[in-house]
Amino acid sequence: MIMPSGQQLLLPVNPVFIWTSLIAALLLDMLPLGRVPWMPDFLALVLVFWNIHQPQRVGIGLAFMFGLGMDVHQSALLGQHALAYTALSFFATMIHRRLLWFTVPSQALQILPLFVVAHGLEITIRMISGGVFPGWLLLLAPLAESLLWPVISVMLLAPQRRAPNPDQNRPL
Amino acid sequence: MPLGTLDRTPPPFFKQGPSALSKLMVFSALALFLMVADLRFRITQPIRAAVATVLYPVQWLALQPVRAAQYGGGYFTALSQARTSEEAARQKLATQSLRASQVEQLALENSRLRKLLDLRERAALTGQAAQVLYDAPDPYTRKVIIDKGLLQGVALGSPVVDESGVLGQVTRVHPLVSEVTLVIDRDLAIPVLNTRTGARSVAFGEPTTHGGGLELRFMGSNSDVQQGDLLTTSGVDGVYPPGLPVAKIDRIERRAESAFARIYCTPQAQVNAAVHVMVVKPWSGEKLPSATAEPVPVKKGAGK
Repeated sequence: MIMPSGQQLLLPVNPVFIWTSLIAALLLDMLPLGRVPWMPDFLALVLVFWNIHQPQRVGIGLAFMFGLGMDVHQSALLGQHALAYTALSFFATMIHRRLLWFTVPSQALQILPLFVVAHGLEITIRMISGGVFPGWLLLLAPLAESLLWPVISVMLLAPQRRAPNPDQNRPL
Repeated sequence: MPLGTLDRTPPPFFKQGPSALSKLMVFSALALFLMVADLRFRITQPIRAAVATVLYPVQWLALQPVRAAQYGGGYFTALSQARTSEEAARQKLATQSLRASQVEQLALENSRLRKLLDLRERAALTGQAAQVLYDAPDPYTRKVIIDKGLLQGVALGSPVVDESGVLGQVTRVHPLVSEVTLVIDRDLAIPVLNTRTGARSVAFGEPTTHGGGLELRFMGSNSDVQQGDLLTTSGVDGVYPPGLPVAKIDRIERRAESAFARIYCTPQAQVNAAVHVMVVKPWSGEKLPSATAEPVPVKKGAGK
């Protein structure tokens, strides 16, 4: 098998876990914390993560559907998040073979342009459709998402890093 | 099969589905179509209502920790604090009850005078209480979501007031929740009346000022406005009932190069912290005079 040397062989992913993580990210995004422009978009992050690690299971269509949900929740322009997530998902699918050969911190660096493009798309659309510029703090959102990449890599890969043959001494 | 896992299902060799690029094309086109339909033609309300209803359980779940924190915070406030707030509420109630009894009497007097002068009766206000669920996180507009919807009889375009003034207007109605655009949103305009001078004008939302405010546009630089003037709804629009406080004039900039003054106002309602609001039925203006009799057609050539 072709894989980066010195890496642990992972267990197969549980589809239930993928869905649970996506719903949990949606819940995190829906927490009523007020209007914070620099708030990282957890749902986008988790979508990109599964797009890169499991492109057969989480694809562009799912990203589009979740984007529609976010639009309705935020009462934003219908299709704004859908377009951003579609683009995000497409670029993630494009780089998924290359990205996993790098270490996790450099993965975070390579993910950053994707989030910048997604947020740039959203702000361009809203400026064209006559929105109010929300301030430069918005630029921190892609940065925060990129910084969360190592955290989410550890959290979401933890179930796959369990022992393949659990016994008394190693229950997990 | 993803890189470096023990997944035992081999990846499909030929059936890979449509390519990522074609999927991108299709879904981007769909998203663009939805945006245009939403912005220009406003035909996406059924999609929104359906998605909102599906999302409602998740939203409800996301609201619970915040509700629990609020409840817990209220539970642990000191007894003395609760007592002082109750004292203040009682005092307010006492002063308001005095005013309310005066209002009853004045309303009676007003209706009699109106009858005497042959003016039309004013329609009574009806409304229902609602609670603000959350501030819409969309940073480009200023909206809140309230917990009453189509099933509770909220009508599109209803004015929403809080305890101190006009908060906004219902701009979207979903089955279980509705969306209220605040008076400080840039797309909302509200006809107002200066209570000191009686001059009517229109206040527009101005969200870029600190904390959000309103702007009185198209007032000449020699117009009679002063700092601290109270603006109330004028009632000429047929939506907002007359006499509700909207804003106070905060700052006036008179410029030599412009024929208009820039007048900034602060909203009276708590646009950033409203919790309990009242959804008022859209006021259809003074009752239109009913056509008492069919217009009699003039007979042509009746004199023959």
